[in-house]
Amino acid sequence: MSTELLPGRRRFTLTSVLADLALLAWFTFALFPILWMVLLALKTSAEQTSTYFAFSPTLENFGTVLSARGTELTSVDFTSTLITSVVSCVGAVLVSLIIGVPAAYAAGRWKYRGSNDVMFTILSFRFAPELMVVVPLFVIYHQIGLFDTRVGLIWVLQLVTMPLVVWILRSYFQDLPEDLEQAALLDGYTRRRTFLTVALPLVRPGIAAAALLAFIFAWNNYVFALILTGNEANTVTVAITKFLGGGGQAYYNLTAAAAVIAALPPLILALTIQRYLVRGLSFGAVKA
Amino acid sequence: MTTTTDTAVSTAQRLVLDRLYKTFESRNRESFAAVRGIDLDIEPGEMVALLGPSGCGKTTTLRMIAGLEAVTSGDIRIGETSVASLPAKRRNVGVGFESYALYPPLSVRENLAYGLKARRAKNVDQRVDSMAQRLGMTDLLDLRPAALSSGQKQRIALARALIRNPPVLLLDEPLSHLDASQRQHVRRELKVLQREFGYTTIVVTHDQLEALSLADRMAVMDAGVIRQFGSPDEIFDDPDNQFVADFVGEPKINLVGGTVRIDGDRTMVHIGRAGELVTASRIVQHDQQVTVGLRPQDCRTDVSPAAPCLEGEIKVYENLLEFGQATVNVPGVDDAMVVQTPAGHRWTRADPIRFTAAPERVYLFDTETGERLR
Repeated sequence: MSTELLPGRRRFTLTSVLADLALLAWFTFALFPILWMVLLALKTSAEQTSTYFAFSPTLENFGTVLSARGTELTSVDFTSTLITSVVSCVGAVLVSLIIGVPAAYAAGRWKYRGSNDVMFTILSFRFAPELMVVVPLFVIYHQIGLFDTRVGLIWVLQLVTMPLVVWILRSYFQDLPEDLEQAALLDGYTRRRTFLTVALPLVRPGIAAAALLAFIFAWNNYVFALILTGNEANTVTVAITKFLGGGGQAYYNLTAAAAVIAALPPLILALTIQRYLVRGLSFGAVKA
Repeated sequence: MTTTTDTAVSTAQRLVLDRLYKTFESRNRESFAAVRGIDLDIEPGEMVALLGPSGCGKTTTLRMIAGLEAVTSGDIRIGETSVASLPAKRRNVGVGFESYALYPPLSVRENLAYGLKARRAKNVDQRVDSMAQRLGMTDLLDLRPAALSSGQKQRIALARALIRNPPVLLLDEPLSHLDASQRQHVRRELKVLQREFGYTTIVVTHDQLEALSLADRMAVMDAGVIRQFGSPDEIFDDPDNQFVADFVGEPKINLVGGTVRIDGDRTMVHIGRAGELVTASRIVQHDQQVTVGLRPQDCRTDVSPAAPCLEGEIKVYENLLEFGQATVNVPGVDDAMVVQTPAGHRWTRADPIRFTAAPERVYLFDTETGERLR
C-alpha cells in the first residue's frame, strides 16, 4: 500500500489525534458559558447558586419568564420586550435593505467624486464607539419624541445594520461581471430594470447573508436600547439584566432562562440560512 | 415601438468612425487619452478586425460604437444616422462580449429570448427556434449556461447578439477563451455565419492569426491611433511603418540597422560588417541611416556567388517539417536574425549561411519616426 492519503479516508496519527484533542478542549472552553447558561436555566430557585451538575431539571423558569408571574417578580414584561426586539430588529434590517441594497449597487458600480468618503463615513458608524453618539442622541430623541419608541429603535439601529448591508453587498455587486448588465442595456432594458432583473437576483445569497448578520448585530445591541428606551420599548438585551436586580433579589435562573429564549431567534435564523453565512463573514477578503 | 427589430432580415449598414476621440478624466491622475482620432469607413457587410496590443484602445473603440462608453469628440455613423449621442439601446448594435455575458439562472432559450422581450418583439419563440436551427444548437436550448462548453457558450453569445438582426455586429475577443482546436473550429464557423448573415462586423482581437483569417480588412492600432488600415495582404506585404511590420507576422520580422548606398539606379542597404541587400525603396539618400525590416519568410538561401546578400553562421536550427527556421549570427549585427529555410537542407550549428530577399521585400524605416521609406 502506498502512504498516500486516500480521498475520503482519514489517517489517525499522533499529531492528528493530539490536534483533535486540543480542538475539543478549546471547544469545551469556548462553549462553557453557553452550557452553564442552559444548565442554570433548568435549575429551580433553590438550586440556582449551586455549582454541581447533578440536579433535577425543570422547565418552569421558561414559563415564569414568559408569564405574568415573571413580571410580578421582576417588573419586566419579557414577552413584550421580545416582541419589541423582533419588531425593531426586523424593521431595522428591512429599512437597511431597502436603502442599502441600491446604495451598495451604486457604490459597487460607479466611482464618483467623494464616493470613497461616503463609503468610509458609512463604515465609520460601525467602528465609532456607540457611547460616543448615544448621549447627544438621547437629548435629540427626547426633543423629537422618539425616546422609548420602536420607531426610534429602528432608526438608531441603522448605525448598526446599514454599514454591514452596504459593505457586504458592495463586494457582491463588484464581483458580478459588468458585461451581464451591459448586455441587458444593449438589449434595450433600462438601468432600473437591469438592476432589478439582472443584478439583484444574482446577489440573493449576499442579501441573505447581509440580512442575517445585520439582524444578529442589531439583536445583540445593548447600549442604544439601554439609553434610548424606558419601560415601553425595552429590548431583550436590556430586559435580561433587570432580572438580576429588579425587586431587590437576583433571579439567576430566570436570567438564564430569558437569555436562552433570547438566543433562539438569531439561532433559528442562522440555521435556516447558514449556507450563505461563510461568504458573508469573509466579505472584504474577496475584494480589497 | 420601433419595427426595425421585428423585420426578419436587416440590411447591413455602412459604419463610419469620424475623428473619434476618447479621453478618460481622473481627478487625481492625469487624464488618459485612450483613443486619439480614429477614422474608419467600413463597407456594408464587411468584416473588419481591430488588431493591437493590450491597452491600444481597441476595446474602448468598440465600446464607444456600442454606446457603452461616451464619445469625447468625433462622430459615429451607422448608415446615414449619427449614433454618437444615442443611448446604447437605440443604436441597435449587436455585441458579443468577451465573457459571453450569458445570464446564469436562465436557460439558453430564455437567454436568447431575453433581448427580444426587452423590445416587446413578436414571435419570440419562433425566432429563438429559427436562430437555434441556423446555428445548429436546437439541442442546447433547454440547458443552463453552466452546462455548456466554452465553444457552445461562444456560439450562444453570438446567437444572442444576432437574434435582434442588428445592422452592425461587434465582437470583443470572440475566441480568446477557447482552446486551440475549438478556436480554429469557431473561427471558421464565425466566418461562414458572418458571410451568410451579411452583417457589418467589427472584431476586436490581439491575435493576429484571428485577424488575418477572419477579416476582409484590418486596422492595426497602437496607443489610441490606427497605424494602418488595409487588407491582410496589404498589412503583411506592404507595412506602413515599423510598428505594423513588427506587430504582424509570425515569426517576427528582423529589424536591424543599416546604411543606404545608392549605386547607379540600384538602392542598396549596407548591413553589419559586410552584408548588403538590394531594396526597392526610392525616397532615401546616400549614407542615410535606416532600420531594415526583413521577414524570415521572405529570405532566400539560393544566392548566386556574386549577388548582394547577408552572410553569417547558424546559431540554432529548428526543423519545423514543412520548412526550417535558422537563427543566424551575422557579423556586425547585434541581434541574431531569423531566416526561414526550405525543408530540403538540414543545417547544423556554425554552418555558414548566405541569404537575401527580393528588393520589394526589403523594407526600410525611418530610424526616428518608424515610418516606412518607400
